[in-house]
Order: sequence, then C-alpha cells, then structure tokens
Amino acid sequence: MRNAWLLARKDLLRSIRDRSALAVSIVAPLVLAFILSAVLPEEDLGITYGVVDEDRGPVAQAFVSEVIGGFVEEFATVEELDAREDALRRAEDERVAASFVLLAGFSDAVTSGEPAEIEVIADPTSDIGAPIARSIAEGFAAELNAIGLSVATVAANSGSPPDQETLERVRRIAQSMDQSISVADREAGDREFDDKTFFAAGMAVFFLFFTTQFGAQSLLRERGDGTLTRLLAAPMSRESVVVGKALFTYILGVVSLVVLIVASGLLLGAEWGDPLGVTVMVLAAVFAALGIQSLVTTLAKTDEQAGAYGSVIAVTLGLLGGTFFPLSQAPPALATLSFLTPHAWIMRGLGDLSGGAGTVADLAVPVLALVAFGTITGGIALVRARGIVVSP
Amino acid sequence: MKAFVIGFTELRRLTRDRTNLFFLFVFPLVLILLLGASFGGSFVPKLGVVQLDDGGLAGELAGALKQDPSVEVGMQDDADAMLSDIERGVLEAGVIIPAGYTSSIEAGEHADASFVAKPGEFSAAIRTAVDSAVGQQSGQVRAALITADESGDDFESTYATASEVADSFPGTDVTFTLAGAEDEFESLGRFDTGASTQLLLFTFVNSLAGSVALVQTRRLGVLRRMLGTPISSTTILLGETLGRFLVAFLQSLFIVFAAALLFGVDWGDPLGAGAVVTLFALVSTGAAMLCGAILKTEQQAGALVPFGLALAALGGSMVPLEVFPDTMRAISRATPHSWANDAFDQLIGHGAGLSEILPQLGALALFAAALLGAGSFFLRRALTT
Repeated sequence: MRNAWLLARKDLLRSIRDRSALAVSIVAPLVLAFILSAVLPEEDLGITYGVVDEDRGPVAQAFVSEVIGGFVEEFATVEELDAREDALRRAEDERVAASFVLLAGFSDAVTSGEPAEIEVIADPTSDIGAPIARSIAEGFAAELNAIGLSVATVAANSGSPPDQETLERVRRIAQSMDQSISVADREAGDREFDDKTFFAAGMAVFFLFFTTQFGAQSLLRERGDGTLTRLLAAPMSRESVVVGKALFTYILGVVSLVVLIVASGLLLGAEWGDPLGVTVMVLAAVFAALGIQSLVTTLAKTDEQAGAYGSVIAVTLGLLGGTFFPLSQAPPALATLSFLTPHAWIMRGLGDLSGGAGTVADLAVPVLALVAFGTITGGIALVRARGIVVSP
Repeated sequence: MKAFVIGFTELRRLTRDRTNLFFLFVFPLVLILLLGASFGGSFVPKLGVVQLDDGGLAGELAGALKQDPSVEVGMQDDADAMLSDIERGVLEAGVIIPAGYTSSIEAGEHADASFVAKPGEFSAAIRTAVDSAVGQQSGQVRAALITADESGDDFESTYATASEVADSFPGTDVTFTLAGAEDEFESLGRFDTGASTQLLLFTFVNSLAGSVALVQTRRLGVLRRMLGTPISSTTILLGETLGRFLVAFLQSLFIVFAAALLFGVDWGDPLGAGAVVTLFALVSTGAAMLCGAILKTEQQAGALVPFGLALAALGGSMVPLEVFPDTMRAISRATPHSWANDAFDQLIGHGAGLSEILPQLGALALFAAALLGAGSFFLRRALTT
C-alpha cells in the first residue's frame, strides 16, 4: 500500500506541473460557468401590462387599485396608458404582454345591471403574460357577476321573473354570503439549482469525467512512454501500480471538484448547500467517474484511443445526464432515461442540496446508485487492468 | 492539383477515426434533437392537479383548469410525488382538490383547494389562473345554494341551472383581442434555433479539435518532408487549408441537410444560409490553421475544445443572444459566432434574404480573412524555418 501511495503522490505532483491538465480540470469549467451565468438575464418573469381607464367610475377604479394595484403588481409591471389605440400599438410592438381596457360607461353599466365589457388587448407572441391577463379579467368579471348571477338563477329556476321583495332578499343574501370555495397556499421547498449554481455544477460534473479520464489513461501513457516497464522492474507489486493509479485519479478528481466548488461559490456566487452533503456527493461522484473512465481506458489500446473513447463517453453521458441544460424541461421519457447515467444522479443529489429542501438523508439513493456505478465498472476495470500491467 | 491531394488526404485522415465521426456527425444531431424536444415550442407553465375527490364539482374544477390556455395541466396521482416535481422544477405549480370537496360544497359548507408552489413571481402569475377558475365555480355554487334555498329544489338541479345561466349571462363580459396582423408573426419551428446555434458551435469546435492533426503533422516532421518534394510551400499551405475547409464545410452541409430532413428545420433563404455556412466554415478553418501553426504540442490542443465552447457560449450558441444583457451583447460581437447566429436569426426567424444580412456576412468575411491570413503567415514560417 505504501508503494501505491508513493506512486499516487508522484503522479499528483506531476499533474500539478502540467498546465494543460489544470486548464481542463479547473480553469475551463470555471470560465464556462462564468460566461454562461454572465449572459443570462436576471431571473425575472418580465411581464408588463397596460391599463386604460377611460371610465374613471367607481367599479373601474376598484379594478385598477385593488386588482391591478393589488396582486397583479406582485408579478408584473403596470403602465398606465391614455387610450385604447395606445394599448393596441404597445401590444403590436411587443412592449406589453396585454392591456386591460375599460371604456367610458363601464361602471354605470355594471351598477345598473346592464351588459358591460372588459377588453383585454394582447400581444399574440406572448406565451404567458397574455393568457394570464385573460384569467385576471375573467376572474374580476365573475366577481362582478356573482350577485347578478344568483338573482338570475333564482329567476331562471322558478320560470318566472321574481317579485321585487324576492329580488331584494336574494341580493342581500348573496352579498352577505361568504365564498364557498377558496384557494389555500402551500409553500413548496426548493430542490432546484438557481441558474448560476446550475452552470457551475453542470460544468464541474461534466469536466470531472475528463479529469478522471486523464488520470485513468495515465497507466496507458506510461506503457506508451516505456516507464511502465521500469515501474514493474521496481520492488513493488503489480497491484500497487494499479492501485496507485486509481488513488491518483481519485484524489485528483476530488481535489479538482472541491476547488471548483469553493471557487464558484466565492467568485460566481454559486450556492451549493450543506457542506456535509456536498462532501458526500463529491466522494461518491468521483468514485463513479473513476470506475467508468477506468473501464473505458482498459478497453482502449493506446493512450490516444483511451482519450478519444473517454471523451465520447464523457460528452454523451454529460448530455444525457442533464449537465448542459436542466432535464426538468425535457420530455418525461428522456428524463427517466437519464438516470442510466451517473451524471443525472450527481445533479439530482447536488440539486436537492443546493435548493435547500434536501437533507443528507435524501442523498441515500443517489449515493447508492453512484457507488453501484463505480463498483461495477471499477471492478471490471481492475480485472482488465491486470492484463495491461502484465504485458506492457 | 497537388493542393487537392493534400486536402483530401487530410479529409481521409480525419474521417478514418471513428470517434471523430461521432463528434462531427452524430453528437450534433443528438444535441439538436434534445434541445428542440426540451426547449422548442412555446413555453406554457405546467400545472399539476391532484384530484382526490370523485364528485362532479371536483371534476368540473379540474376541467376548467385544463381548458385555461395560460397553463398546461397534467393530472397527477400522488400529492407527494407532485410536491417533489414542483420542488425540482418539473412542474411550475400544483393544485390539490381534497377528498370531500364536492360533498362539503353541496352541503353548504366551505371547501379549500390547495395551491402548491415555490414563492416567487411565476407562482403569483399562475395563481391568478387558479383563482379565476375557483372564483367562477364559487360564484355558481353561491347562486345554486341560494336558489336551492328559495325554491326547495336540490342542489344538483339548481347548479345545473346556474351553469346554464352563467354561460349566457348578460353581465360583465371579457373580450380578448389579439393585436397586430396575424400573418406578420413568423412562427419558429421547434428545432430551428437549436439547429442553427449548434451548427455553429460544432463546426468551430470540431475544426479546433481537428487542428491537432496539423500540430502532429508539424511535430512529426511530415510538413518539412513535404517541402523536400517538388511542391511549393504555397501549394502545401493551400492544401492544408483546403483540407480543413473541406471538413468544416462538409460537416456543416451534413448538419443542414440532416436537420432539415429529420427535424423539418427551415434554414431560410438558401443563398443567405449558404453564404453564412461557407463564410463560417472559412472562419473555423482559419482558426484551426492558426492554432495548428502556433501550438507546440497535441496536449495543448486538448485545451482548445473548452476554448471553443467558451467562444460559442459568448457568441450565443448556448444561451440565446436575445436574452443577453446589453454589456454582454456588446462583448459578444468580438466572436464570429455572434454575427453568424444573428444572421441565422434574421434568415430563419424574420424571413430575411441575402441582402438583409450583408453586414453580418461582412463581419464574418473579416474574421475569416484575419484568421486565414494569420494562420497562413505562421504556418509558412513554421514551414520555412
């Protein structure tokens, strides 16, 4: 074992001096994460609505102050517009998602029980803002109609117009009655990365597989360079050589991930969550990466081939595993398939922690999956590695 | 011509390696497919609904939510699983219609529907759709309860009456008007954006990766031996440039046609698209030449891929240019990718023709000239010293 450690130490020192290794393991993911989070706009729904109140009556003002000024301004910016034509132009120019238009005579119509109209003028390209404006207007209209609806239903049910006394009574009851149904809020926790952290995590996990590939293929590199023969001539067992390489790769992976996590936290404001949980995920993640890239290496004949295969695997698994873009938006079938990759499990565990709602207990399944990945692939690789070390 | 021989040899060298073929042809298409499947199409917030009650009113509420165009409703079986999905961003929000919903309401009692979401603007916006649906049902319930009281009829029949009345009620109505002429709006195909941005990303990155071959040719002394033959250094230069250009151009053509055939991508005006593809292939070639000429080892060339990715990200091939903050948009102009992405956006999204994208083409031509010029200069120097 001591020999294995010596070997690992030697390789680690060499890799620190190798600038291209550092560039790929640490600089590249940081720079990419930085660029990607810099080009994203601030998280903002970005809806702007217009309001045209040509009526100025009490009902219109109630709409503007209580509905618009109340909950709508919680998620949208509201612009007061002068006339319906302004609303049309703004919507055409895509500068507002939709405008609410109340023409003169609105309040009078409502209070005297006559037909009244709220117009929603929408930008056809607005996916979210316009349909929601419609919901807002319909909700308000339903409220206005509520009393009248009760009266009209009584009338329709009895088949003949009710007398004045009944009308008054129904109105009174309807006005004093509480809503039968209401909406209760339940707050959900967060198991999602924010954008900055997503890119930091995605890039870190993606490049981890390149880092471990670099380490794993060092065995083949030594064989190609001729130093493997010399190692074997030394008084150390063949197993030590293989274990030493594995140790080197593992430590390299863990160190580079830790550096990335700390750096992205300090420089990019990435939020990784509970340090204990993150540590557990890092240890499990590197174990899985080591296993997979070791197996890939043993399937190659030369150093370059190992690099090429390793890249293909890293890139494919990275894509399918949700490190380039969140799989929460992917079709469900794809999202399920992604769990065939270790990347998906790593992102799942880290995401739960980053959002804050996840605890170390939630990591049990991801960690188990990663350990399984690492053990199975690593086991096969170990067996095959003997072949490499026996016949350099 | 001897330059062609050199060029085609380069092409054969690159295509013989199967992993190269993966990165040149397979991977870009897979990525375009995934991007289109995940992000193509308009974004409608997803609302999960758990209906724990079998009664008519519960079903009606779920139905009303399904019909609301501002949300896409997916019925869920399990409230806990739905909560996880909301927490992980798979669903934007959820509604739980509890057991006993219908019977409580029919008996004149109060009932609650739960709205589950993470706090934030998005949830507030989606909540209005839920509030609206609940509010409308609540109004009808009130009408039905009062009528049932007055007339002695049962709730079910008075509710039916209330629903009918509500449909034709001459009270306050909402008119929904779409602004602008319908035909002005060019609808983007689902895979269009992904195809154009990834075409640029991959052409450039693969060209950079391919410059390893040129570094090797230099380092192994093959280049110098070529000089020993009766070929001028100009011919060699031309041949190497041609080789790289052939790979970049053929890869681009492949992606263009494959995306059009497999994903129905419309690349816009053919002349315009052809010009962008050709010029960008030249830019990629120039970059590859430059890197191949000045890098010393193949190892250094390995760091080129992340560099290529970084340029692509800055140039709008990962996050779309239109969302860039102003400063970043200004910085992005230093990349050829941003000009090419802009050109494609005009061609595909706004139906532009060749004449409308002349500024972008001009910028690309400048990049190509500069890179090819620098690459040739350094390669000639490497050849003759």
